[in-house]
Amino acid sequence: MTAMGKHLIELRDVYKIYGEGLESEVRALDGVSLTIDAGEFVAVVGQSGSGKSTMMNVLGCLDIPTRGDYILDGTDVRELTDRELSQIRNREIGFIFQQYNLIPSLSVLENVELPLIYQGVRADDRHDLAVKALERVGLADRIKHKPAQMSGGQQQRVAIARAIAASPPIIMADEPTGALDSHTGHEVLTFLQQLNREGSTIILITHDNGIAATARRVVRLQDGKIVEDYRQEVDWF
Amino acid sequence: MNISQAFKMAWKSIWGKKGRSILTMLGIIIGIAAVMTIVSAMNGYTEKTMEQYNAMGSNKLQVYIYSYVYDEEGNNIGKDYFPDLYNYCKTLDSISGVTPQGWLSATVVYGTKNSANMSWETDEQGNVTSAPPDLYLGSDQYAVCNNLTIAKGRDLTVLDCERYNQVCVMGSQAAKTFFGTVDPVGKTMQVNGQNFDVVGVYASRLSEDLASMSTADNFIVFPYTATRLLGGERPTQFIVKVRSAGQLAEAASRVRGFLKGLVNPSIGDSQVYSNDEWQQQMNEQMAMISLVLGGIAAISLLVGGIGIMNIMLVTVTERTREIGIRRAIGAQRRSIVTQFLIEAAMLCGIGGIIGILIGTGGSYLTGQLLFHMTIYPALWITACAFALSVLLGIGFGIYPAAKAAKLQPVEALRAE
Repeated sequence: MTAMGKHLIELRDVYKIYGEGLESEVRALDGVSLTIDAGEFVAVVGQSGSGKSTMMNVLGCLDIPTRGDYILDGTDVRELTDRELSQIRNREIGFIFQQYNLIPSLSVLENVELPLIYQGVRADDRHDLAVKALERVGLADRIKHKPAQMSGGQQQRVAIARAIAASPPIIMADEPTGALDSHTGHEVLTFLQQLNREGSTIILITHDNGIAATARRVVRLQDGKIVEDYRQEVDWF
Repeated sequence: MNISQAFKMAWKSIWGKKGRSILTMLGIIIGIAAVMTIVSAMNGYTEKTMEQYNAMGSNKLQVYIYSYVYDEEGNNIGKDYFPDLYNYCKTLDSISGVTPQGWLSATVVYGTKNSANMSWETDEQGNVTSAPPDLYLGSDQYAVCNNLTIAKGRDLTVLDCERYNQVCVMGSQAAKTFFGTVDPVGKTMQVNGQNFDVVGVYASRLSEDLASMSTADNFIVFPYTATRLLGGERPTQFIVKVRSAGQLAEAASRVRGFLKGLVNPSIGDSQVYSNDEWQQQMNEQMAMISLVLGGIAAISLLVGGIGIMNIMLVTVTERTREIGIRRAIGAQRRSIVTQFLIEAAMLCGIGGIIGILIGTGGSYLTGQLLFHMTIYPALWITACAFALSVLLGIGFGIYPAAKAAKLQPVEALRAE
């Protein structure tokens, strides 16, 4: 249960408009309202240009909507300072990106430790938590490697370990399988499903209807508007 | 994020690009080394000169009395003003002594040692083993005026001067040169063929390290009236020793006034200088030289700092994506600023340390080659140089760091 109500995430009539008032104005989000509860597995689906990346940026507190309210866990995100937004990204959300977005100069362990460093976790605990996260993705024996020494699938698993190291309630995955072959992609999806069974809220951004078909809820975006929003039975839950 | 983490990250980033880091530091290294060398060499030189100068005795007035009365052959037959000056100085409490300051040109012989044949010789440590001594003319107060004390025998007396006694007192180095380990007191030397008895030896005025490279104790003092027997110009330069620095100005004006009344301007002239003024002039000169050279070095530091800023800007651009990732997973603006500032400061700090090492060598070499002195940078100069380099890093790192922190996470993540 959250402070203000039952929803973990609530978007109310949210707009994200680039170049507002100009002829070239782009409405990446055009009046979106959406609620997501804790423990859901939501796939946000859409073609490129549908606004799904903007949606992810807004939901992930990486970007602030032009208009409308975003209530995250009872807090109006629009009223937060940059510092508070950083803290939310740090503690509440784990990001998984299509391009893994690991820092190449840091080792696997250091990459996974990064969110814990910014949280101010003590060095010993940090190391233990990071190793535990890497154990979960099956890479505990690679902690000294550099990202460039690993395959794409392994790098994405490191990124997952980084996302779950601080045990955030929400995992946001932006095309997490986009750069992977179908087999490793399937592994990543299975892992996300596992996390969801354990209670994490998963928000998966994808253009792939096949992947969306494995989600418990599908939100379809088109031209910045939600055109479909339905729940479905899945075999894994 | 704590500071030690930031230091670790900064070190990683610098070490990860060793070649570029060294090239970036080069400006700082050269600048700091130049500043160190110049400041510490000048500082060391001034200090050592002052030490030597103070060993000779400070609080002195230089007095010049000229007489323009000549006989048909061109010899100066003007009045000897020294006794008048001597007696006047005796009446002043502020003055502790007065002596002529003159040089005698003569050949001094004792046994096989002949000052005419002596050459400059030093051993491997730079100690003077042989050198022709300076021959000075003085009054009974020569010792007081030059901070000398008798080690053996007796000093010159008023009677020695009045009666043209053929005696002399030796400086410690001159005594060593002529007599080695033998006691010189009571021995007779030939000065231009005339017999002079050594009546005393002065104690060395210099600390060990100065004595090894100075010939300041290599002299023999004769009563100033010895010029009657040995020939040569009567001294026109005199030293008045004042008891304390505070009394210098007052003593100078009194002596100046006395000499105005004593010397008829139509047949002579007098001048009085305070050594303080000389010291001040020298300090000012050294400060000026230091300032000019330091300014040139400062420009090279400025250029070095701009180099740092330039490379840090490149680094920020190169690492835009990394900044985006860090921001996405929770780094605050402050953490990003700290990270880049510390990186710039560390880069400059390391450059500074290398520069300090080179500068230490530089000031040692400069001391040896230019001033024949052993000069090491003072601790405060080293500390200042390090602080300066770190401050440069912070100063020139602020702009790139601020630029990095201003990046929006979304845009930074989009960077290639």
